[in-house]
Amino acid sequence: MKHILSKYFFWLSITIVLSSCDSFVDVDLPQSQLTNVAVFNNNLTANAALADIYAKLRDGGITGGTNGISVQLGAYTDEITVSNGSQLPSLIFYNNTLLPSTPNIATYWNAAYNQIYAINSLIEQVDASGALTAEQKKLLIGQALFIRGLLHFYLTNLFGDIPYIKETDYIKNRTVKRMTTELVYQNILADLKESYLLLPETYISAERIMPNKATCAALLARVYLYQKNYLQAEAQASLVLGQTAQFSLSESAKVFLNTSKETIWQFQSAVVGQNTNEAQVFIFQSGPPTNFSLTPSLVNAFLPNDARKENWIKSVTNGTNTWYHAYKYKEQNNTPTSKEYAIVLRLAEQYLIRAEARAQQGNLTGAKEDLNKIRERAGIGNTSAQTKEEILEAILKERKLEFFTEHGHRFFDLKRLDKLDATLSGVKPGWNSTDKLFPIPETELGVNPNLLPQNSGY
Amino acid sequence: MRIFMVIMTAFLMQVSASTSAQQVTLKSNNISLKQVFTQIRKQTGYVVLIELDLLNKAKSLNVDLRNASLEEAMNSVLEGQNLKYLINNKSIIVSEKQKSLIDRVVDYFQQINVTGKIVDENGQAIAGATIKVKGTALVAISDGEGVFALRNVEENAVLEISYVGYQTKEVKALKDLGNVKMEVAVGKLDEVSVNAGYYTVKQRELTGNISRITSKDIETQPVTNILATMQGRMAGVNIVQSTGTPGGGFDIKIRGQNSLRDNANAPLYIIDGVPYASDALGSGQTSSIFPFPTSVSPINNINPNNIESIEVLKDADATAIYGSRGANGVVLITTMKGKSGKTKFDFNSATGFGKVTRFFDLLNTTEYLAIRKKAFANDGIANYPATAYDVNGTWDQNRYTDWQKEILGGTARTNDFRGTISGGTANTQFLFNGNYRNESTVLPGDFIYLKGGGQLSLNHRSTDHKFLLSASAGYNIQDNDQPAADLASSVRYLQPNAPALYKADGSLNWENSTWENPLRNLNAKYRAKTGDLVTNAVLSYKLLDNVTFKSSFGYTNLSHTDSRTAPSTVFNPALNLTSQRSGIFTNDTKRSSWIIEPQVNWEKDFTNSKLSILVGSTFQSQTTSKLYLSGSGFPSNDLIYNVAAATNKNVSLNEETIYKYQAFFGRINYNWKERYIVNLTARRDGSSRFGPGDQFGNFGAIGAAWLFSEENFLKNQSWLSFGKLRGSYGITGNDQIGDYQFLNTYNTSGAIYNATTGLQPSRLFNPNFGWEMNKKLELAIELGLFKDRISASAAWYQNRSSNQLVGIPLPGTTGFTTLQANLNATVENSGLEFTLNTVNLQTQKFKWNTNFNLSFAKNKLLSFPNLASSTYSQRYRVGYPLNINLLYKLKGVNTQTGIYEFEDLNNNGIISSPDDRQVIVDLTPKYFGGIQNQLSYGRFNLDFLFQFVKQTNRTYPMSTVGAMVNVQRRFTNGWLQAGDTAPYQIYTSGTNSKAVTANSFYGLSDATVTDASFIRLKNIAFSYELPELIKEVKGRVMLQGQNMLTFTKYEDGDPEFTTYGYLPPLKIITAGIQLTF
Repeated sequence: MKHILSKYFFWLSITIVLSSCDSFVDVDLPQSQLTNVAVFNNNLTANAALADIYAKLRDGGITGGTNGISVQLGAYTDEITVSNGSQLPSLIFYNNTLLPSTPNIATYWNAAYNQIYAINSLIEQVDASGALTAEQKKLLIGQALFIRGLLHFYLTNLFGDIPYIKETDYIKNRTVKRMTTELVYQNILADLKESYLLLPETYISAERIMPNKATCAALLARVYLYQKNYLQAEAQASLVLGQTAQFSLSESAKVFLNTSKETIWQFQSAVVGQNTNEAQVFIFQSGPPTNFSLTPSLVNAFLPNDARKENWIKSVTNGTNTWYHAYKYKEQNNTPTSKEYAIVLRLAEQYLIRAEARAQQGNLTGAKEDLNKIRERAGIGNTSAQTKEEILEAILKERKLEFFTEHGHRFFDLKRLDKLDATLSGVKPGWNSTDKLFPIPETELGVNPNLLPQNSGY
Repeated sequence: MRIFMVIMTAFLMQVSASTSAQQVTLKSNNISLKQVFTQIRKQTGYVVLIELDLLNKAKSLNVDLRNASLEEAMNSVLEGQNLKYLINNKSIIVSEKQKSLIDRVVDYFQQINVTGKIVDENGQAIAGATIKVKGTALVAISDGEGVFALRNVEENAVLEISYVGYQTKEVKALKDLGNVKMEVAVGKLDEVSVNAGYYTVKQRELTGNISRITSKDIETQPVTNILATMQGRMAGVNIVQSTGTPGGGFDIKIRGQNSLRDNANAPLYIIDGVPYASDALGSGQTSSIFPFPTSVSPINNINPNNIESIEVLKDADATAIYGSRGANGVVLITTMKGKSGKTKFDFNSATGFGKVTRFFDLLNTTEYLAIRKKAFANDGIANYPATAYDVNGTWDQNRYTDWQKEILGGTARTNDFRGTISGGTANTQFLFNGNYRNESTVLPGDFIYLKGGGQLSLNHRSTDHKFLLSASAGYNIQDNDQPAADLASSVRYLQPNAPALYKADGSLNWENSTWENPLRNLNAKYRAKTGDLVTNAVLSYKLLDNVTFKSSFGYTNLSHTDSRTAPSTVFNPALNLTSQRSGIFTNDTKRSSWIIEPQVNWEKDFTNSKLSILVGSTFQSQTTSKLYLSGSGFPSNDLIYNVAAATNKNVSLNEETIYKYQAFFGRINYNWKERYIVNLTARRDGSSRFGPGDQFGNFGAIGAAWLFSEENFLKNQSWLSFGKLRGSYGITGNDQIGDYQFLNTYNTSGAIYNATTGLQPSRLFNPNFGWEMNKKLELAIELGLFKDRISASAAWYQNRSSNQLVGIPLPGTTGFTTLQANLNATVENSGLEFTLNTVNLQTQKFKWNTNFNLSFAKNKLLSFPNLASSTYSQRYRVGYPLNINLLYKLKGVNTQTGIYEFEDLNNNGIISSPDDRQVIVDLTPKYFGGIQNQLSYGRFNLDFLFQFVKQTNRTYPMSTVGAMVNVQRRFTNGWLQAGDTAPYQIYTSGTNSKAVTANSFYGLSDATVTDASFIRLKNIAFSYELPELIKEVKGRVMLQGQNMLTFTKYEDGDPEFTTYGYLPPLKIITAGIQLTF
């Protein structure tokens, strides 16, 4: 009897030991993730995917954060002095000693293409979604195409010939080749034009934090200007400038407030009360500055009575020496409600784009008219420039004074006008003419030899 | 036993007795013996005693007796029968002519009852020793007092007494043996039982490769991490400490790197049968003080002082039963268990200090300023820039501070207390252990690492020995308070004439905002609290004589919270930043797991062989939850640890991940004549880390051993006491790829825009990846010479990993920099491992043992289809190890320009990557090992271990020489003027972009490759056993040292240390006392 019992237990235990349920190793989705399809079956989550793209533009990569081009290209050209002892990567930009292995270069590249992937994923999924309405799809894709154009625009201006990525297929994207700058521009224009058709006339949200048709036109004006397509540049700028109900120049002191009517597009802060990265990076209270200060040559370029010098620059002294910092954004700390957002596109640029386009087309009067709008606002009276060359020179100088430490305008202007070497050689000991392009990140060339050759000089 | 049984079961037939004459008359043909005896009884009255069996077996006979005497009658009757007789009193006892019932009865009266007491070398009782009567099945086990009793032992029998860890002893049976003293086994392979995970096996019968250290090796080392205790002591196991900051991790590679993924080469850790997840705990945002990826290693939770033994399973035979998790080896940790006997108290206290092992040789002020001034001169800059404070007169140019000494040169203090109470009866034993340790740092400031815990262990065996219960529970806590960032790196860069750290009033000196005081970073804190519970229970029941059912249960629960603060006080006060700029990052990680492993074991002894079969299954589930919070903008820095007080609060991660795992496993072991042994193991594994259809994989191995010393032709050789050839081949796997990688999902990024929290694509989507396979082959020989006074082994192995599961690096243009996929590449690790253990001297007073291990390891990428066009083209080379660097080739310094020149491999006139960066340098250690000597003389013990590694490494990368940072002293030898031949190039303050570029190439060139081999006195321990002052109270005083001496040619700090920029391992010396009673 006992023997039988034992045998019974034996087989029971064998059964226990070998028992299984195949589904044991199947697991549910983690709580913090949603499937691709689920994200785009709902307008709210689809917009959350888009919100993430905006947040990333604001917080890092080329366009945002504390290491964006507003800082680095300022240091790279003649706007910002970086202290010798600074621990920041900006010192490499300041010394013009970028290398293919410089981490910030890879960050610009990878962050931009990661954002582009997110955009392409959004476009593909929104297209395929059965749940989103046609109107919702128009809005989502319109914004996505605008950002895709913008990012490629910055990439090509920094790196030269680059791949234009329009799909998520990594098998294709891993062996992609570089496209000529000209072809990149064609793609940028195609994206922006399509975006223009899809975006609404009015802002989607009250704070001008997402692009509308005018925003798209403003970027198109810049793109055409860089392409030296002055006819179109003037046309697009006029389109924006014509919307007087929506846009008008603010007085100098109020240009960078988030309520400014001059703003065409700005990055909303993450949380209520937060202000800009720019204020945190540039402002210092006592000298000598640990990291950044404005170059004396920039500060000295202003006329003494220039309202911009008064409102956008602040001096700090320790008794013997005086230093200056950018003071466009004034709120270094949080405020009860946010006062300033980082502005990407503003009306003043449209005036100067049209001025330059008109001058190049021979419309000197029109050019001066637009240029004087900006000078007038600065309180420095009309320009004395007469000839086309003088006017163009005056416009370039005005751009320097108007847009310093804003998204690399100075670098891009000198570059498109082929004045980098002439302007920087004397000022920056480390300047080489090949510095007009950043190096392609070393790791990138390592994993995709199709991107060879490296930009010259690196 | 059998005699007794026979007697008990024998059926005695009684033939009725008669008291008449003693003469017999009987005539009959074909009469049975029974009838004959009946007649004899009737006629003589003598009773005949005979076993029924014999009576029935006896042949019929013809009898013709006439007045025969009893003797005559019996002689006649038994003639031709195999029987004999004995007349005794009034009975005749008839028995078989050979071993007869009578003989046995006689024997019975010559048997004795044996008692005795088994004691160890110190006279302490040994419970659970086996006492066997040689040549019989008679066995007894000593009880809690060490006492045993054996009934009915033949007087001349020999007793064989054995106990794990002691030499088997043979004694002649006596009624009272008194104390039987056992001798500790010295290198006796027979006696050592090795834990192989699901089963234990005697060292001599082992078919696989298992290295082992025991508490004896661990207790001499003043360290807190069990991986540190293994360094240099195990062949084939390479362990490198990644930071000297307390609470940091170690990198362990068992037989090399198998996986192309850097973070997928960790072994499987098992504590008392429960798998222990070793995945790092910290987050990038909080634990930046520690190097990635070892980051915050959970292995620190394991208390080394509570470990009985650590076994490392290496080859296929040993690891295949762990299937998918065995590819990188298995580390089995067995905690201490109670022993029966008198309740024993053991207390231990130690205190000590630690210092950094080696510093860099950096420039002093004179050298530094000379280089700086020359750099500006070279750059054509006569007026020093306003911010070049070191040379422009702002800072005192006569000031000199050795910043490494100033900031890292402090003394760390350690204190360690622990106590153990253990004891029990023969059936039930317990052990309770408690410990506490604290460790300060070499940095200025009150940084401290606290560690404490307790462990309770209970074992019970039912009196019939059928049921066994073994349970243990351990809880350990760590409380770590460190600066938020490692200062080692920034300290090396500090200018030697940089200003003083403190002002006269004791506050931090900012020298009019001309420098960033390095101590500011100490205001940013890293704080971690870890609590870790590991419990397990094993229940086993002997169902039948040869069948045992067993199930183990385990539960672990780990909670780790850490935080990093970034207070406004790290900034120059001149910036007037308030606590509105302060921030904190927190990480709250919880990990719990359970496991159930039911098993059935069947064993059978045959005449010449033994067969055992094990089948079992595993169900395991692990849940990890993580919550990352950050806050910035506080009303006061005092509120910084209260995220609720922050103006901006952000939750960047809130996730729970589940990992489930299921397996079936089995083992068949066949042992023929203890000479030929075959061991088969197999496992079928399923893991939730793979997509549907790819979840299951099969693994298995065969191992075999030939104990040639047991062969007749070698058996009686006096020099050869043991000899074994063994080999194994099998397949193991690897699933260390993280959870949910096969899903196509979006996850929350934590970033907010337009009041919406963002969703981001989690990864590039690839559902079709499966197991990584690792095929292992091993051949080995093991020898014991001169009664095992010398034991040696040599093993050759070759492991091949294929189907590599890799985060394949992708160009950024794909949107991501990696993709999870199987890559059809094969990595081979092969090598030779030698061990040699000798008993050099063994007298009553003086003992000297030497243990030596040496490993040659080769790592090679065997195949990689389309490597050139793959994303790995600039990282690996077919035919070379994985741990290579591709570097530029330095030609030298141009004597005219003074700038480094490099080989232009593609002859295109410019130096650029990747084409010109093609010099392959192998950084895999060539060989490594250790040599340990253990000496004891009377009450003195000395134990020391030298560790050695033959390797090359890169020098520490520094900035451009001439920039406003310090560099190694060798750079004083730079190029000065045209015509100079110098090893180092022209100095520049940073504006000579050609020199800056060349300097960066130099840092990536073969010129940075240097010999980093070292020999290190890893551990030395000296102890003295105090004379017994009070009865039964023993005392010992100890002096222990770790990383005491280092011999190396490596110039840039500690050579062991391969992670750049972190605090090197410390040299630690402790003094301690131990009391046992």
